[in-house]
Amino acid sequence: MLNYLLKRLFWMIPLLIGISLVSFLIIHLAPGDITTTEAGFDPKASEESRQKLREIYHLDKPVIVQYGLWLERMVKLDFGTSFASHQRPVFLQTKDKDGNVTPGMIEEALPITLLINVLSLALILVIALPLGVISALTQNRAPDRAITLFVFIGFAIPGFWLALLLMYWTGVVHDWLPISGLHSQGADAMNWFAYTLDTLKHLTLPVLISGLSGLAGISLFVRNGMLDVLHQDYIVTARAKGLPENTVVYGHALRNALLPLITILGLSIPGLIGGSVIAESIFAIPGMGKLFYDAVLMRDFPVIMGILTIGSALTLLGNLLADVAYAWADPRVRRGVMQ
Amino acid sequence: MKRALSNPLALSGFIIISLIFLLALFAPLIAPFDPDAIDVKAILLEPSAAHLMGTDGLGRDVFSRMLYGARISLLVGLVAVGIATFIGIILGAISGYYRGWVDMVIMRTVDVMLSIPTFFLILAVIAFLTPSILNIMIVIGLTSWMGVTRLVRAEFLSLRNREFVMASETLGANDNRLIFKHLLPNSMTPIIVSSVLGVASAVLIESGLSFLGLGVQAPQASWGNILTDGKEYIQFAWWLSLFPGLAILITVLGYNLFGEGLRDVFDPRSSRNR
Repeated sequence: MLNYLLKRLFWMIPLLIGISLVSFLIIHLAPGDITTTEAGFDPKASEESRQKLREIYHLDKPVIVQYGLWLERMVKLDFGTSFASHQRPVFLQTKDKDGNVTPGMIEEALPITLLINVLSLALILVIALPLGVISALTQNRAPDRAITLFVFIGFAIPGFWLALLLMYWTGVVHDWLPISGLHSQGADAMNWFAYTLDTLKHLTLPVLISGLSGLAGISLFVRNGMLDVLHQDYIVTARAKGLPENTVVYGHALRNALLPLITILGLSIPGLIGGSVIAESIFAIPGMGKLFYDAVLMRDFPVIMGILTIGSALTLLGNLLADVAYAWADPRVRRGVMQ
Repeated sequence: MKRALSNPLALSGFIIISLIFLLALFAPLIAPFDPDAIDVKAILLEPSAAHLMGTDGLGRDVFSRMLYGARISLLVGLVAVGIATFIGIILGAISGYYRGWVDMVIMRTVDVMLSIPTFFLILAVIAFLTPSILNIMIVIGLTSWMGVTRLVRAEFLSLRNREFVMASETLGANDNRLIFKHLLPNSMTPIIVSSVLGVASAVLIESGLSFLGLGVQAPQASWGNILTDGKEYIQFAWWLSLFPGLAILITVLGYNLFGEGLRDVFDPRSSRNR
C-alpha cells in the first residue's frame, strides 16, 4: 500500500509541472504580450494594470526566466495582490503597518465551495445509487425507461436555466427558499441551530444545481455497471447455488459494481469545481466560483491565476484520494494486477 | 446512414437537429421582426399572436431573436467540435501509431489538461482575450480535444495488431497509407459518436458563457444572453427565461439522442441494452 502511495505521489510531479506550463501559456496566449490586450471591461484600469502585469509576470525578461519566476510563484503560492481589493488571492496573509491581518481571498471562499461540492456529492450518491440499481433491475421495463428519460433530460438541461426556473418558482411565486447569498440578514445574531438551518436553506438550490449533471451521469453509470456485473460468472454461480435474490443483488453484484464509482467520483471533481462558477454567480454565493467569475469580469489576473492553480491542485488531490480509496477497496489494484 | 436511422433514438435525435437546422437556416424568412429592432412601445410584452414568445426589455421580438440565436448555437457547437476532433485525431493518431516517448508526452499532456477544471480554464483564457464568437469557438475547441485523443489512440493501438493491418504492413505499405487508408477509416465510427455528443456539450458551454456575459456579446442574439435578460426580469417576464432554456434543452437532447442512438447501432457491445 505504501509503495503504491509513493508511486502515485511521484506521478503528480510531472502533472504539476504540466499545469504550471499550461497556466504560463495562458498568460502568454494573447497576441503580443498580455499587457497590450484591451482590458475591455474597464478601460480606465487598463493602463495601470498593464504596468502591474509587466511587473508581476516580469514580461521584460527572457521567456525562460519568466517561466522560472512563475514556477517559483506557484510553488510559494504567491500570486501577487489582487488589482481590485489589494488582498492576496491565496493563503498568504498580508499585514499592514498597524499589524491588521487580511486573510487571502481563497481562504474565505474555498470552504464554502468545498461545502457545496461535498453536499452535492452526497446528494448525487443518495439519489443516483438507488436510481441506477432500480434501472438495472427493471431493465427495459417502465421504471428503467422513466429513469433513462430522466437521465437524458438531466444531461441536456442547462444548469443555469433550471436555476432560474427554481428561483422563480421557490423564490418569486412562493416564498419557500432564499434565492441569493449565503446567510439571511441578521444571521449573526441567531443561535447555532437557526444559523445552520438558515445556511442550509440558502444552500439548497445551489447544491441541487451543481449536482444535477453528476446525478444523471452517476445514475447511468451505476445502471450500466450493475448490468455488467449481473452477467458475470460469479453472479450466475451465486444464483445457481441458491442464494436469495437479495443477497445476490446487494451482497455480490452491487458491491462490485460500486468499485469503479470511486474513480468516477474522483474524475467528476474538476467538473464540480468548474461548475461552481455558474451556481455560485447565479445565487450570489461568495465561494471560489463567484470569486473567479468576478476576477474574470474585472480582469484581475493575480486572482485568476491563483484560483486556476488552486482549482487544479484540488483536482489532483481529489484524484489522488479516489485512487488511494480504490486501491484500499480493491486488492487487485494495490498489487498492480490491474492498471 | 439508413441503418443508423432505423434506431428510434438516433432517428428522433436526427429529426430534432434537422428541424433546428432548418429554422436557423431560414431564420430571415421565418422571423416576423428584425431581431435587433428596438421598439420602445412594445417593452416586455407577454407572448401573443404578434409576438409568439413575447418581447424583451428593449421591445425586441424574442421569437426572432431565438431564431437568429439558433444560428449561433449551432455554429459554435459545430466549429468548436470540429477543432477539437481535428486536434484529437492528429494527436491520437501520432500517439497510437508511433507509441514510445511521443505517446508518453501526448498522454501526459492529456492528463494535465484533464486536471485543470475545464470551466475555469475556459474563463481564464477568455479573460486574456476579448469575448467574441470566433474566440469562443477556438477556446472551447482547444479545451475539449482530450477525449477524442484518448479514443483515437485506443482504436489505433487495438487496430495495429489486427491481421489486415499487419498484412498491409508486410506488403510494404508506408506510414501514410497505413494511417489514412486502414487505421483512420476503421476508427471513424467511435469518432463520429463522440463528436456528436461533443457538440451537445459545446452548445451547453457556449450558452453558459453567453449567459455569464463572457460569450456572444449583445446586441447579437444568442440563447445564452437572452437568458441573461431573463434573469434580469425574472419577476416580471417568465417568457424571457422559459423559451431560450427550452431551446437549449431540446437541442442538446437532440444531439445526445442522435449520438447515443449511433453508438447503439455501431457498437452493440457498449449498448445500453445488453
